[in-house]
Amino acid sequence: MRIGIAGTGTMGEVHAAAWSTIGVELAGCISSNPTQAKAFGQRHKIRTFANYDELLNNVDIVDICTPTATHKPLVLTAAKAGKHVICEKPIALTVEDGQAMIDACQGVRFFIGLVLRFFSHYRSAKQLVAAGRIGKPGVLRLRRVSYVPQNPEAWYFNDALSGGMVVDLMIHDFDYVRWLAGQVQRVFALKTQADSGAAQYVQVVLRLKSGAIALIEGGWAYPPGVFRTGFDLSGTDGLIEWSSDQPPPLVTFFTPKLEETASVGLPTSGLADDPFAAELRHAYQCIQTGAPFEVTAEDALEALRISLAVKESLETGKPVKLP
Amino acid sequence: MRIGILSVAHLHAEGYQANLKAVPGVELIGFSHENPEEGRPFSERFGLRWFSTHQELLAQRLDGVVICSENARHRELVELGADAGCQILCEKPIETTLANAQAMKNVCDKNGVRFMTAFPTRFSSPTQALRTMVQQGELGKVFGVNGINHSENPSGHRAWFANKELAGGGAAVDHIVHLADFFRWCFSAEVIEVYAEIDNLFYPNELDVDTAGLLLITMSNGIQASIDCSWSRPTLYPRWGHLKIEVIGEKGAAVVDSFAQHLTVYAKSGARNPEWIGFGPDANQPMIQEFVNSIREQREPSVTWNDGYQALRVVLAAYESAQRKEPVQLEH
Repeated sequence: MRIGIAGTGTMGEVHAAAWSTIGVELAGCISSNPTQAKAFGQRHKIRTFANYDELLNNVDIVDICTPTATHKPLVLTAAKAGKHVICEKPIALTVEDGQAMIDACQGVRFFIGLVLRFFSHYRSAKQLVAAGRIGKPGVLRLRRVSYVPQNPEAWYFNDALSGGMVVDLMIHDFDYVRWLAGQVQRVFALKTQADSGAAQYVQVVLRLKSGAIALIEGGWAYPPGVFRTGFDLSGTDGLIEWSSDQPPPLVTFFTPKLEETASVGLPTSGLADDPFAAELRHAYQCIQTGAPFEVTAEDALEALRISLAVKESLETGKPVKLP
Repeated sequence: MRIGILSVAHLHAEGYQANLKAVPGVELIGFSHENPEEGRPFSERFGLRWFSTHQELLAQRLDGVVICSENARHRELVELGADAGCQILCEKPIETTLANAQAMKNVCDKNGVRFMTAFPTRFSSPTQALRTMVQQGELGKVFGVNGINHSENPSGHRAWFANKELAGGGAAVDHIVHLADFFRWCFSAEVIEVYAEIDNLFYPNELDVDTAGLLLITMSNGIQASIDCSWSRPTLYPRWGHLKIEVIGEKGAAVVDSFAQHLTVYAKSGARNPEWIGFGPDANQPMIQEFVNSIREQREPSVTWNDGYQALRVVLAAYESAQRKEPVQLEH
């Protein structure tokens, strides 16, 4: 199957690298930034299409890596052209848009890249919880705190394009908690922002319908280059702890030197288990074989619904109930 | 200086008796405990004189008493101690209701004795260093704080911890006060809003008190903080639990793990396997020293009745918030 990438920024690069790991050849790319698209095409030795329609005419699957606000029109056009869609998270900026995209994709496959579900430690913890190893989940703590994206023009800063940090970053853990322990009933959140600039930090307490409670922290708050994630999953019969503070499988010691900080913090996994490759391999195989996706567009929509409830709580200062 | 321990119902009495013995010039006269089945073995184990009534111990012309009873018996013992003219060091939480806590203050004022609340977190070197960093502005504007004081179910060691009448509740009343007090002290601010989810999620069939709690609080200077007070560590965990504090600020972040200094021990004879055996300094020692110093110097101790009272208000607000499913405001 032929694949085209729409969007040649940070996530487009990550996806292109992952596709090459899997051994799937890309048909080409497209971007609203022609200079960036051209360089991307040359770097990956793929075609740079003149426009989206041309890309769609030459592929079976479009892999959408553009800013969130553009997901809906790109997905609707692809679905109309009968092309399968792989799309970065969040699905959209509103529940209505997300639902419209799901409805439009009834005739094609539609996959949302909630990549956290493909990190081996998160998968492993999910499997242990599902196997009953911690009993009934009680208190779930999740952390995802990074630094302010270093590209000053980054679209992440623009709420109208990204939905902001809560929708763009924290959605991973909202989805994960829902995957672990089911539907969310109620959320309450607090946020503190820098007096100037985009630095911000959010804490959310969630009550799940199962009774379990969760604390999720997210932010662009640490010094550049510092990205801490972690989970602490406790239940009636056990506990699972993991933190990115733990040493990786390869630790090196060199004379310190000034290092460039990646413009956006992306969590890394181990050495040989790139979660983005695992995610795209899964999506690709499911589209090829017709098998169901492990994470559905409806899951992505629910994760968005939680994110938006958190934003509402931040705006009103009150707890927000979910349907 | 003559000191006595009123009741050894609280586990901390074991540590405090050693701390008291280690302070030069302090004579630990003994302890009172009404239940002989608990009093006698405690006496034998620690070589301490046991008094079967509090009145007998208080007749020993004491300068100060350390109160280690069940939470809901603090008032009764504070009244006995204060009426006997003793300076008071009281285990946390200071009581289970505001009315009882207020009555304790009144009896101390009436007798001209001073009241210190046992908050050892203020005397722990990493938390003190964290406070200094915050107060000197090294972290810049504070974006948020996480306090983690989750533990195993303590009623495995002392059943009354899970007795609502004696303890005043479960995990929330057990753990919130340490962090609530530390935040007040570290940020020089009061807690003005509390949102909490509290429930019995870990021992639904064994216990009838709350065993899980997550709080989001707002301080009077705008700082937001979470507190995890859950009894969420399994009994086979390598230690009773944790006290961790993270402060995330505009200029940097600091993470305190108060009990990070430990050895991991794998031993067939271990109560836990593996077991984390701490080798860091014992924060209770400087706390006991401060109590003794405040008596010697006839001054207010550095941790007061009001500190204990304000921390108790946060606990009660948390229970109220969990019940109402809304944030609760605290007036100051």
